[in-house]
Amino acid sequence: MRTKLAVVMTAGGLLLAAGPVRAHHAFAAEFDVNKPIKLQGTLTKWEMVNPHSWFHIDVKGPDGKVNSWLVEGGSPNQLIRMGVTKNTVLAGTELTIEAYQSKDGNNKAVGRNFVLADGKRLFLGGSAPGGGGDSNSPAK
Amino acid sequence: MKHRCLVPIGVLAIPIAIAWLGVPVAGQAPSTAAATKAAPAKASTAKSTATKAYTPPRTPDGQPDIQGFWTNSTYTPLERPNNVTKEFYTPDELEVAIKQAADRETAQTEPGTTADVHYDFTQFGLDRSQSTFAKNLRTSLITNPENGKLPPVTPEGQKRAAERAAARKTQGGQYDAVENMPIGSRCIIMAGAGPPMMNAGYNSNYQIVQGPGYVMILTEMIHDVRVIPVDGRPQPHSNVRQWVGTSRGRWDGNTLIVETTNFNGKNAFRGASENMKVIERFTRVADDVITYQFTVEDDATWARPWTAEMPMQKTEGPIFEFACHESNYGIANILAGARADEKRAAEEAAKKGAK
Repeated sequence: MRTKLAVVMTAGGLLLAAGPVRAHHAFAAEFDVNKPIKLQGTLTKWEMVNPHSWFHIDVKGPDGKVNSWLVEGGSPNQLIRMGVTKNTVLAGTELTIEAYQSKDGNNKAVGRNFVLADGKRLFLGGSAPGGGGDSNSPAK
Repeated sequence: MKHRCLVPIGVLAIPIAIAWLGVPVAGQAPSTAAATKAAPAKASTAKSTATKAYTPPRTPDGQPDIQGFWTNSTYTPLERPNNVTKEFYTPDELEVAIKQAADRETAQTEPGTTADVHYDFTQFGLDRSQSTFAKNLRTSLITNPENGKLPPVTPEGQKRAAERAAARKTQGGQYDAVENMPIGSRCIIMAGAGPPMMNAGYNSNYQIVQGPGYVMILTEMIHDVRVIPVDGRPQPHSNVRQWVGTSRGRWDGNTLIVETTNFNGKNAFRGASENMKVIERFTRVADDVITYQFTVEDDATWARPWTAEMPMQKTEGPIFEFACHESNYGIANILAGARADEKRAAEEAAKKGAK
């Protein structure tokens, strides 16, 4: 028991020292923590760009009017190493994005959770290589 | 809504390959490293054991061949944690640490908190478990001083840090102007791009290419290139100052030694002065591992030189261009957000004044 405890304690030291992931920039300065928003819509374009990718989605409101949104995601580099291409997620894909809206109130947001129509999280759970799925199959 | 945590660096480790190395590096304790690559998980046995002297292949012009794609992604901190007193973990302790880090990484951040205002690293494969990283039994990257800590900062170094902080204050708020924002956010250079080359948190990848008389190191994050002559030419005049300094290399047996000076001081490593000198040693100790060791000499900042060491693990290429500035919409959005905050604050102040 004592040995086990010691292992946990030393491991904790390593963990605590690991520190935060270095974000490229301060997202809380760009987006409003007090404006959580849930966007359900259709992907029109995915910009696989750095330092952060951008998802363009059309969201239909209760009145039938369509609003276009820009949603910020992560750097695509590792996804590309894992076999994801621009054809992995096609225009027309239905997405639900839990997000935080931009501070200036425009139709921009950071996507906290990207969820496909079947409930799977985008690029995870079979929707991307490494998640157990087929790398050549569109997530659509 | 439930969110996965992205803030703490953790690891969701599914080790598939372990390569324990015991390769003495000149003047150093034995290094220990292992590679892991996450999903798809496969059972695997140790794939390389370099207990004997390893002879690297040669380039056509006779240099030891260190070319390829490498990563220095690691969970090992630069300095030894305060509650750890030994130099190396046991393999069991390291696995526990990795498991704990994995749990932290997959935990949920609290909706409505600042930490939650971010995309999920795991959805973009940017958590370390989904890419190759080099395991390291060391409890700190720093090997000298022996306590694994940076040497004390000199009075001159403390004074410079205070002066730099004061200078920043005179420029106004961080989001008052684009020039006030961190150089990494502005896509100029990543803080850890070096030299010394520290892991970047994610995309910690490098490509090394050798040609007659030269070694080139491409750093993935924010896309920096170091072209290092190894033909014996001297350093340029000290008036020549660069973000990554100027580097000159030479081979000592199978070890590439690179000395870098002439930093511009705008990307000061841990508060270093522009007169910092970095001596790096690259030794390929196995087909899939380079031992990367560096010594920092800067008596204007630290009481004495210090040395660190980490494995660079072979990884997959190619490196997708990190054309950072080109699509850095975040800068404009942040500045717009700051102006919106100011407008709201002014309106609230006006309301209070009217009452």
